[in-house]
Amino acid sequence: MKSAPMLSSAFLHPAGQSLPQPLLALRKDRASALVDMPLPTRKTENWKYSSKYLKLADDMAISLPADGTVGSSLAVPGYKVVFLNGVMIPEASEYPDLDGILIQSFSDLDDEQGQALAEQLGRTLNHDQAQFARLNGARFEDGLLVRLKPGAVLDQPLFVIHETTADASGSAYPRILVEAGANSQMTLVEEYISQGESAAFTNTVTEFTLAEGANITNIRLNMEGENVQHIGATGVVQQRSSRFESHCVGFGGPLRRHDLQVRLEGEGAECKLNGVVVTQGKQHYDNHTCIEHIAAHCNSEETYRNIAADQSHAVFNGRIHIHQDAQQSNANMNNKNLLLSNGAEIDTKPELEIYADDVKCAHGATIGQLDETSLFYLVSRGIDRRQANVLLTMAFINELMQQIPVEAVRETAQTRLNEFFEQTFQEA
Amino acid sequence: MLSIKNLHASVEDKEILKGINLEIKPGEVHAIMGPNGSGKSTLSQVLAGNEAFEVTSGEVTLNGENLLDQETEERARNGVFLAFQYPVEIPGVSNLQFLRTAVNAMRKHKGEEDMNAAEFMKLAKEVSKQVDLDPAFLKRGVNEGFSGGEKKRNEIMQALLLQPKLAILDETDSGLDIDALKVVSDGVNALRSEDRAILMVTHYQRLLNHIVPDYVHVLAGGRIIKSGGRELALELEEKGYGWLGIKDEASN
Ligand SMILES: Nc1ncnc2c1ncn2[C@@H]1O[C@H](COP(=O)(O)OP(=O)(O)OP(=O)(O)O)[C@@H](O)[C@H]1O
Ligand SMILES: [Mg+2]
Repeated sequence: MKSAPMLSSAFLHPAGQSLPQPLLALRKDRASALVDMPLPTRKTENWKYSSKYLKLADDMAISLPADGTVGSSLAVPGYKVVFLNGVMIPEASEYPDLDGILIQSFSDLDDEQGQALAEQLGRTLNHDQAQFARLNGARFEDGLLVRLKPGAVLDQPLFVIHETTADASGSAYPRILVEAGANSQMTLVEEYISQGESAAFTNTVTEFTLAEGANITNIRLNMEGENVQHIGATGVVQQRSSRFESHCVGFGGPLRRHDLQVRLEGEGAECKLNGVVVTQGKQHYDNHTCIEHIAAHCNSEETYRNIAADQSHAVFNGRIHIHQDAQQSNANMNNKNLLLSNGAEIDTKPELEIYADDVKCAHGATIGQLDETSLFYLVSRGIDRRQANVLLTMAFINELMQQIPVEAVRETAQTRLNEFFEQTFQEA
Repeated sequence: MLSIKNLHASVEDKEILKGINLEIKPGEVHAIMGPNGSGKSTLSQVLAGNEAFEVTSGEVTLNGENLLDQETEERARNGVFLAFQYPVEIPGVSNLQFLRTAVNAMRKHKGEEDMNAAEFMKLAKEVSKQVDLDPAFLKRGVNEGFSGGEKKRNEIMQALLLQPKLAILDETDSGLDIDALKVVSDGVNALRSEDRAILMVTHYQRLLNHIVPDYVHVLAGGRIIKSGGRELALELEEKGYGWLGIKDEASN
């Protein structure tokens, strides 16, 4: 029998040493636990459609340098923190000192704070499902800590721009932890972008803990380049009556994977997860979501849309797990998929596990193509076929796009979508 | 204006139109009546270019130009408009966006500038009043959740906005209450002009009281079996299709 491929040991050596001592120790610990990390194969259930896209060559183990120039000069309507290859660049970041709100890079923490943080990191995630979060734990060089005191409200969105500079082969390990105190509120926008044409690997972890009544909105925009593989995980733990809203918009790449795990631990907690994925060419994108209803009276609402053109491949796996004590849970999951070419592939799988008896749980998944009758109706009004295709494709995701609560993000995504339409629907 | 010669068309290898001949001059209004399943909608859809139907032989010209080798969108730009018997619901595309895109496609074809959002909004509001459709409908998805009558008014609204040369109205009167019938008829009468031809498919003489046709044709079994003036409609209403020796095809 052929032995399963292992993560190359080259990946176990972080470069930067600028973290506080307790975090360096944590990282070392995690690295030693990784020595035998098997890489996913076709037989790894949660990677079966995607393992073939994962290509981690040894030269990608090298940490990408954190001293490059920031490529994006995105003006953002809000506060901004810029990370280059997982390391915060203070000169490019702009945010004020705010009452009750701490925004700080991991490397700026003292040992005591570092110790406290070390005890928190990774707590929100099930690492058996999001295996690569372990790698991030062994490799992160910096990170962003956002701590909202009880009642604190961030008055504008905080944009965290994560830029990977793929000027040479290498990898980056961005990390974020948001601790939202009782009744605090904020909107966090994560933008993943890249420059350069080399094969690079971005491996992220973002964590949120929401205390009672906290209200957090998270927007995740994945727009990295054609040669960047991306594996990210987001973990969310919610206490009583908290609300978490997520909007993930992703464009495909050689490998794109996002695991989103939400634990509804306090009664009356509520989450809303929206996702839009667009793939073209030979691109790939895989979303794995998991909502754990642990306490009673929680609501979850999940809506994901995939659009796959050319020979691209999109995967959606949505798991809802309703624990025994989670009576009166309300869970809705809906996944619709649009194939724009015969060569495209979409795999969708809802997974429900329900152990409580008094719950409302609905799920639906469809895969279809653009509707010929609708297309005929539009062109019969003189609208050209290309534009009719664009209108109908947009119609498929409009509702989700309009729900993104930050206009600048909607615009950025729309610009990228327009490029997609240009390339996908040729002039007749 | 419109000339149809010996038109045959099939769907899924079943011949539906079996040699249609029809000449319509500018300014004329022609009504087509006929039993269910006789091919009225098929004729309408074929004229608009629906590729679900295959034209097997025959010739159709609009102002001397071959219509059959044009794409649907070209036909529309050259002046063909079909009011659908069953207008299509398109959630996610707002009615306003749809109408403006259509109007601007026509303007582009004529070498005119795009209408901006504000200009178009003004025009759309006016026309929606004309068909008695609340401007709130502009914001909804195309025909999404519209009642039968609202959909028909939306079709007439499109005709008024697009100002076609040939308007084909497929049962635009069905499903309308008396007030709506009046509104829709007024809309169609507003379309009537010397350089426009109108082809109306209907089952009811009552429409023809509001929109007086120049000619009435009876389509049965894929052929026009009788043509006459408006009095033919009255006669049909009185005597039924049995009078012409045909049965309702849907019922046999
Ligand atoms: N897409 C299709 N596939 C198969 N048969 C079709 C299709 N479209 C129409 N037909 C058939 O063609 C025939 C003519 O249909 P058509 O819709 O043109 O009739 P009609 O005269 O408009 O009837 P109505 O008065 O009920 O609207 C019918 O027998 C119908 O079943
Ligand atoms: Mg019909």
